[in-house]
Amino acid sequence: MIVGKNALPRRTFLRGMGTALALPLLDAMVPVLSARAQDVAASVRRLGFVYIPMGMNASAWIPATEGRLTELSPSLLSLTPVLDHITVVTNLELRNAYTTGNHASSNCAFLSCSRAKRTEGSDYELGTTVDQIAARAIGRDTPIPSLEIGTDLIAQVGNCDNGYACAYQNNLSWSSPTTPLPTEADPRVLFERLFGDGGSPERRKAELKKSGSILDWMTADMARLRRELGAGDRVRVDQYLDSVREVERRIQRAERSDASALPDLDRPASVPAVWEDHVKLMFDLQVLALQADTTRVITFQLARETSTRTYPHIGVPEPHHPVSHHTNDPEKLVKLAKINAHHVSLFASFVEKLAATPDGDGSLLDHTLYLLGSGMGNPDIHDHSNLPIIVAGGRGAGRTGGRHIRFEKPTPLANLHLALLDKVGVHLDQFVDSTGRVSDLEPLSV
Amino acid sequence: MAAQWRMCVAGLALMATSVGLWARESPPQTPTTPSQTARSPVRANLDRYCIGCHNSKAKAGGLALDALDATDVAGDAVAWEKVVRKLRGRMMPPAGVPRPDEATYDAIVSSLETSLDREAAARPNPGRTDTFHRLNRTEYHNAIRDILALDVDVSALLPKDDASHGFDNVSNGELSPTLIERYLAAAQKVSRAAVGSPLSSPASHVVVLPSDLTQEDHLEGLPLGTRGGAVVRHTFPLDGTYEIQIRLSRDRNENVEGLTDSQDVELTIDGTRVQVFPVKPNRNQSGAYYADEAVDRHLKVRMSVTAGPHDVGVTFPRKTFALEETERQPALAHFNMDRHPRVQIALYSVSITGPFEAGVATDTPSRRRIFVCVPATVAAEDACAKRIVSTLARRAFRRAVTDADLEAPLRFYKEARAEGGFEAGVEMAVRAVLASTEFLLRIERDPPNVAPHTPYRVSDVELASRLSFFLWSSVPDEELLNLAIAGRLHQPSILDRQVRRMLADPRAEALVTNFAGQWLYLRNLAAVSPDARQFPDFDDNLRQSFRRETELFFESIVKEDRNVLDLLRADYTFVNERLARHYGIANVYGSRFRRVALGANSERGGILGHGSVLTVTSYANRTSPVLRGKWILENIVGSPPPPPLPNVPPLKDTDAQGRVLSMRERMVQHRSNPACASCHQLMDPAGLSMENFDAIGRWRARTEAGTAVDASGGLPDGSTFSGASGLRSALLRRPQLFVGTLTEKLMTYGLGRGVEPYDAPTVRTIVRNAQSQNYRFSSLVLGIVGSDAFQMRVSP
Repeated sequence: MIVGKNALPRRTFLRGMGTALALPLLDAMVPVLSARAQDVAASVRRLGFVYIPMGMNASAWIPATEGRLTELSPSLLSLTPVLDHITVVTNLELRNAYTTGNHASSNCAFLSCSRAKRTEGSDYELGTTVDQIAARAIGRDTPIPSLEIGTDLIAQVGNCDNGYACAYQNNLSWSSPTTPLPTEADPRVLFERLFGDGGSPERRKAELKKSGSILDWMTADMARLRRELGAGDRVRVDQYLDSVREVERRIQRAERSDASALPDLDRPASVPAVWEDHVKLMFDLQVLALQADTTRVITFQLARETSTRTYPHIGVPEPHHPVSHHTNDPEKLVKLAKINAHHVSLFASFVEKLAATPDGDGSLLDHTLYLLGSGMGNPDIHDHSNLPIIVAGGRGAGRTGGRHIRFEKPTPLANLHLALLDKVGVHLDQFVDSTGRVSDLEPLSV
Repeated sequence: MAAQWRMCVAGLALMATSVGLWARESPPQTPTTPSQTARSPVRANLDRYCIGCHNSKAKAGGLALDALDATDVAGDAVAWEKVVRKLRGRMMPPAGVPRPDEATYDAIVSSLETSLDREAAARPNPGRTDTFHRLNRTEYHNAIRDILALDVDVSALLPKDDASHGFDNVSNGELSPTLIERYLAAAQKVSRAAVGSPLSSPASHVVVLPSDLTQEDHLEGLPLGTRGGAVVRHTFPLDGTYEIQIRLSRDRNENVEGLTDSQDVELTIDGTRVQVFPVKPNRNQSGAYYADEAVDRHLKVRMSVTAGPHDVGVTFPRKTFALEETERQPALAHFNMDRHPRVQIALYSVSITGPFEAGVATDTPSRRRIFVCVPATVAAEDACAKRIVSTLARRAFRRAVTDADLEAPLRFYKEARAEGGFEAGVEMAVRAVLASTEFLLRIERDPPNVAPHTPYRVSDVELASRLSFFLWSSVPDEELLNLAIAGRLHQPSILDRQVRRMLADPRAEALVTNFAGQWLYLRNLAAVSPDARQFPDFDDNLRQSFRRETELFFESIVKEDRNVLDLLRADYTFVNERLARHYGIANVYGSRFRRVALGANSERGGILGHGSVLTVTSYANRTSPVLRGKWILENIVGSPPPPPLPNVPPLKDTDAQGRVLSMRERMVQHRSNPACASCHQLMDPAGLSMENFDAIGRWRARTEAGTAVDASGGLPDGSTFSGASGLRSALLRRPQLFVGTLTEKLMTYGLGRGVEPYDAPTVRTIVRNAQSQNYRFSSLVLGIVGSDAFQMRVSP
């Protein structure tokens, strides 16, 4: 269905840039898009990852009981309304994150489970991340195979780990061991990537065609370049050519896709001044992107490792990073738990929105799996064991209520990644350091 | 014994308690080096001071000095350069164990350096820059500005760049699909804006002012007699009708802040008044609450504007002082309804929407730049298009262009010309040029048939780009390009003249905003938000003033070609009234920045006393001696602390008897934990000496906790002192360290690659030569540009 550009009041975003910013957008658009969503086949499966930096206060995070959960721990309380869709997994670890740059590797091992090569040169190397493996399969048919989102607008100087290129700490997603995917933090830019920057469907089609022909030429241009260079440099050009071919495929999909007939929505005007509003807006855009089936794979870096953001309004005027080095000081532990609870609550409202959004034969949440977690366990000592991990979404066959899966022995996070890939129909035998797969997710389907 | 070797590895030798162990433990006295028979003084000292930990068995820090030959440094130049660096910075031996006296230190360093430099001179290694450098955000912005005379908002066009070695132009040769998409989209938007093609629908551009901007007083750049407001430079895409809408700042109850009395709002374009809007408070019957919903609804105007850049200004005419004084409050900041509410209304946003009833773009700087010819007849179009495209491609590709280069852009021109006319054709050709790898990537090509691992001189055209991206963060201009294409740029006298010309050019501002902005972390200021309860005076005005002070100061070093040591010790700085009050400098009035003389040894002299540096190295609620110390070691001394060990063991909660330890006891444990202490004992003392500056750079006598400031500190060389002035003197005692660090930073940035151990002889040469020229800024730049590292490259 095509909605004219006047279906929504113009400048929905421009009017109240205050606290009530995020909701009006979503509410205004749900009726428009849910009609579209009915057309989407029920078998669509989606996978998302949300990264929270610097681990957690385990005592406030880990539920007291195992198995079926009737009650959530203090840090996770906000998830109570969607408890049915929540699985808390504990005692997972990232062995390959133990490096001399623990903040960098917490971030980059989270989805790659790989050990970052210690370098600040252009020879950085990690591993293809789990979201990208999923995107190759389930992102094939959407205009945008995967979205990489963040909330940091400027790249800060001097806070990357010694000896590790900032690429490791800034980017969660890597489409190959040498290709980090930049995150987008500007809601307006993200919106334009999802829904275009206006104009009629015909005009957008014409634009896509022009982009296609420019890309054809880019390919020829790079092939020429390749001939001019030595063997070593050709490897790089081959990577460029792979990228160009990928963009070509995206354009072809966009040309085929209904998405080119999306409504002419109003774009977010700018970045909300309050971080929480910014986060909510980025979450809302994820709901829209999933609902419109513009993409099926999303990674969201809620905040960067070593973030020094303060949260005075929840009683934490101290910066996150020093608070995370709590030295078991009870006061700091309470504050770390508050930050954890705050981050989880932002995620919880997103999960609630997914649950409230109709999709196919159920809700959007039924057909979506999101993993929220960190690559660090106890941030005070930079360890990477007993990670905070939550899986939200999917449908449990015969399952009522959330669960807490606790492993006896430290178990690779890769085992969970393998299980999540299974759920979205991507079957691998092994993922980096996996030793099996988390089979307890079994009743879950998406 | 085994336990002690482990302790060496962990750096436990730093601890006072280990000194005794050291004394008892006699290090291996029988090194098995070839030089053993003829022990040089260097070898004797290494054996005496270093080999206890750095031997083949213990291999502390991966270094075994008994396996290295001090008489033939060429074989292990990389290891020896590391030794030199540690010794020059007096980082080793660690404090607390026997160290050589200064004369011995100097003798060892000088002897090793002389040998290393001799070897380097015999076999120069200019290093190999990456073949591919992608234009990053800053470079793309500047290139578009210089090629198309267009000021684009690059943060909306391209993703942010990842830094390596502290700079975002290093190691950025990758092109992910996302980046290609973004470059493609950018090419489309930029070409459309530059040519001024018709738009499909009116577009909206909204500028929202920082929420913590105080608008009670005059702001720099706005007309005198006004207060608050903003000037927005906006490029109007076409001649046409635009709607400009002004919104006022509201509190969280959606009421307009500071609306107690009627006030005028003035809208100007390019300084000319367009309209004055009165804004009146609209109290409801009870008088207790404002009914403000519609109060600023009428602040909009539809007017016709010509295409091109225009300054849209929104200001508030200043009211009489008497009225204002009645509401004055002690705080300098006014933006927060609870702590320091606005006294008068403030600007929230300016939105520019249009064009409605669009015309065409007639005369804009971009069109003047692009349309170097205007075809009088249809028959003349193709020839003109070729001229247009070849002129642009030459600047964009930064070299002479061939017919082959023009073939594809002209094909695009022809296709689009057939569909949409001449200008549509030109737009498509521009788009193709901007999507070309020759524009987006700086590519350095190995000469054909060059032998492997052989240094060669880069071409003059490549040298031109190296120069312009170093000094301007942009493409070469015509003069530079002409010299390069003529093959004359590498001639020393010409190169020297060009460097001096480029440093004097306004585009050299990039050294201030881009280089210094990253080196000194000024970029991070934008993300700084100090705790509003503790620092009620902090607002965006102060944040901007911090940045401006340091930028103007660094600019003065560049423009006046001053001794770079003035960066640490200058007796002047730049302030406006706001910053002067922050610093306690009297008799400075108004928003304009001006140079002020500081007394000798003023705590504000040099960057170590700048609010910018002091704030970006603090946390939101307190100072951090660790962050400040780390910053000094990395960016001033040039000896970054070693990385923390993987998997630091957890601290104990209880003592041996099971008693729970207090916070203070745990902190002591932290300092005495060798894994933590080995770094923190290097970093913390330098930062502690700056404790007289609070987390937003104010001078203070008491800490956050209310205790008297203890500003005693030290440097890794073992020097101890008190306060920032003590730190400054200690740093100036061995100026080569700072000058060497600045040289390395400039070189990293200029070459777009990390400075490696094999570059050390080059850096030393530059610093030595600069010394005879009073360490003038230009002597460092000329030294770098004249070096083999800058002019040459090694084949793979």
